[in-house]
Amino acid sequence: MSAEERLAISRLINRIGFGPRPGEFEESLSIGFTQAAEQYLSVAALDFSGLASSLGISDLGMQPRPNTPEIVTYAEQKRFQLRKMTLWWLDQMVGEENPLLERMTWFWHGHWATSYSKVDEPFVMFNHVNTLRKYALGNFREMARSMVLDGALIYWLDGQRNTAAAPNENLSRELMELFILGVNRYTEDDVKQTAKALTGYKVVKNSGVVTRNLRQSYTGSISFLGTAGSFDALSLTDYLVSRPDCSRFIAERLWYRFISSSYELPANSSIEAAFASRELRPAIAAMVRDPSFIDPKNTQVKSPLEWLVAVLRASNILPSQYERPDYLINLLNSLGQRPYFPPNVGGWPADESWLSAASTQTRISAAQVLIKRADLSPISQVSSVARIEALSNWLGIASWSERTKQALTGAVRDPERLAILAICSPEFLVNA
Amino acid sequence: MHEVNRGNMDTITRRKFIQMTGAGAIAAAAHTLSIEEIASAAIARPLPLGTPILVVVTLYGGNDGLNTVVPYQDSVYQSLRPQLAYKESQVLPIGDGLALNGAMGGFKSMWDRNQLAIVRGVGYPNSDRSHFSSMAIWQSASLTASKTGWLGRWVETQKEDPLLAIGLGSVLPPLLAGERRSGSVLPLGGLKVPTGSLASDCAKLSMTSASDDRLTAMAARTMRNLFEVSEEVTPILKDPAPPATDLPTVVGGNAGGDSNLSAQLEIVAKLIAAGSPTRVWSVSLGGFDTHADENTAQSTLLGAVSNSLSRFMSQMRSTNRSKDVTVLVYSEFGRRVRANASQGTDHGTSGPVFLLGERVKGGFHGEQPSLQRLKDDDLEVTTDFRDIYGVLLEKILNTPKERVLNKWSTRMELLS
Repeated sequence: MSAEERLAISRLINRIGFGPRPGEFEESLSIGFTQAAEQYLSVAALDFSGLASSLGISDLGMQPRPNTPEIVTYAEQKRFQLRKMTLWWLDQMVGEENPLLERMTWFWHGHWATSYSKVDEPFVMFNHVNTLRKYALGNFREMARSMVLDGALIYWLDGQRNTAAAPNENLSRELMELFILGVNRYTEDDVKQTAKALTGYKVVKNSGVVTRNLRQSYTGSISFLGTAGSFDALSLTDYLVSRPDCSRFIAERLWYRFISSSYELPANSSIEAAFASRELRPAIAAMVRDPSFIDPKNTQVKSPLEWLVAVLRASNILPSQYERPDYLINLLNSLGQRPYFPPNVGGWPADESWLSAASTQTRISAAQVLIKRADLSPISQVSSVARIEALSNWLGIASWSERTKQALTGAVRDPERLAILAICSPEFLVNA
Repeated sequence: MHEVNRGNMDTITRRKFIQMTGAGAIAAAAHTLSIEEIASAAIARPLPLGTPILVVVTLYGGNDGLNTVVPYQDSVYQSLRPQLAYKESQVLPIGDGLALNGAMGGFKSMWDRNQLAIVRGVGYPNSDRSHFSSMAIWQSASLTASKTGWLGRWVETQKEDPLLAIGLGSVLPPLLAGERRSGSVLPLGGLKVPTGSLASDCAKLSMTSASDDRLTAMAARTMRNLFEVSEEVTPILKDPAPPATDLPTVVGGNAGGDSNLSAQLEIVAKLIAAGSPTRVWSVSLGGFDTHADENTAQSTLLGAVSNSLSRFMSQMRSTNRSKDVTVLVYSEFGRRVRANASQGTDHGTSGPVFLLGERVKGGFHGEQPSLQRLKDDDLEVTTDFRDIYGVLLEKILNTPKERVLNKWSTRMELLS
């Protein structure tokens, strides 16, 4: 097996997926990168429309008055539902054999970065992410149209306070800067003009239902980005998505998260070309097939969630079945990446930002805790001499450095100690 | 909306704000420091004695200024909040018809020593009553809540150094966010450096390797930093915090609800005493959003502020840096003059700002907003907060205010 092939498979499984489940790396090596990539990319689109009710995530109604018996139940329900939807999502990431859909949902959650910290309604937040799941591999125009009328997103960006009499430009700015076009691809005047198209939308906080109050809406003509006319949220979104800057921007965001935050997307990228129709599956396929995807210089640091999910997949620990599921949520929180809680509308940082002595300490202590419940048979069942290689397949690592090999060699008799070292190693934290 | 759970209010308000102001902020990523990194730097390149240090204390939630610096003799005060107003016997008079909240004995002693400046009526034009918008204005020092914090912009005027400005806690406070560089964060909660065979194993993993690319080398280096705690550093971390020798042992009034302001300040005290090359420290306390049953909650919180800061200043006096340290205490807005129906107050406008330390000109500054002349039932703003930032930038941080405050050109002479 060539070193290039190992690197390519490692990139595929760690970046498009969430790291290998036991045996997956070896299987992919045996069928080769091209076929393994096809398997990932052909993941089925599923219908998740009834998901909220089957998980018991529901509209809890208006918040009861303080100091009433009802508020206690209400607060408990809220906590319960938030915990439930968090563990369910982690279970999906860890348990799915082909996690591409969840991987892309996770990407879009960081793109349309909306946080529960302000939305404060499990049902509305769950539906927001579930809408992203629906379109994660589908059509970006449809996704953008759903987002601009999404209760969680509007509430998060004060869209419900944007009226014709008192415009609030928060949503219109971010729509262009962070969601559809990219920074500096519009003027300040465009922000003011497009804000008018987004006036009058109202959100029912607990249900996320969005309506438009025409009395508070601006319905006159606006002039922006080389066009003029009467626009509402949907026609504005359609126009922005049709701009050439949109394909450049979405290609840049895919590049940044899946290929490199250190180097820029080259001009005339195959990703951009494949996104011409605004379909996402071809754009993702083009990215995986682009030579840059397996270029050795494009290394990436695993974010805390990616690191934890990869550990749990290899260890065969399903989050909701773990003895202390809350430990996992708290761990993500202390590492700075709890699902449903992006730090700001720009989403989570990347690469070097996740490297600090403090987070290293947290990862080392988590490794010691988690490994006690890990299925280590892929390591313990092979002879000591074969264990270092078995570890690299177990975690989907292309190759060990001499440094790490030496550290592991001292521990070959003890599978638990080996596993702790491997998941704390620089080669696991950084996907070569 | 936030009255649900008083016990959680500290965390709710503070965390929410930090995550939400995010709604505008895309800052340069914060460096997360470990206490060991700071301690090593304190030994390798201590802050020269005599370098001024700023400690910023943010009170999240909107502190009720009228029950902090209390106009107890004012009949309008007594009549607009009959159940909330304090009587003379319950407060600590400091002149001009004003008194400190009864829980603020520590502040009263500093006032008596002329080391407490109280700036009255502080705010900005067209007060915004949203916690998030108003705090964003205060922390960015811009009326349009720009995406960078005022001290983050200051960091960017300085030579690059991750130890220059440090926020305690796990999330970067927006005031330290810069565009290209930000201040750093120091998480609380005592992470442990591994020991024994795990430590020696990890030390091996953190060696350099010729095959490492830039990011992998960086991952190894951050692990190495953990294990490079020299024999010299260990004593600093194990040393007790500097003693607070001149404080009475019982200060009273500080039951519960303290969140961890005193823990944050204890670490700051230790690292200042050790010589950390840090010019700005940011700590915070949440829970001031007192819409209901205000008096007990607020006096508990103010007691925590007063006690932990007077202890901190006393600790500084047992080091050779006590002249160097100046403390700023502020909140995003004051509260409505008239009490609401549930013995609380709703969001208002201006409030008092405190400066503490041996360099401050003790006493009152700025005009007390008149209760006879309310504007839409709210207090007037008599001092713009940027006049306070201006003097701190120029006299503590040696940087022209215009460079950081977007051409703001006035300052209040609060420091000698």
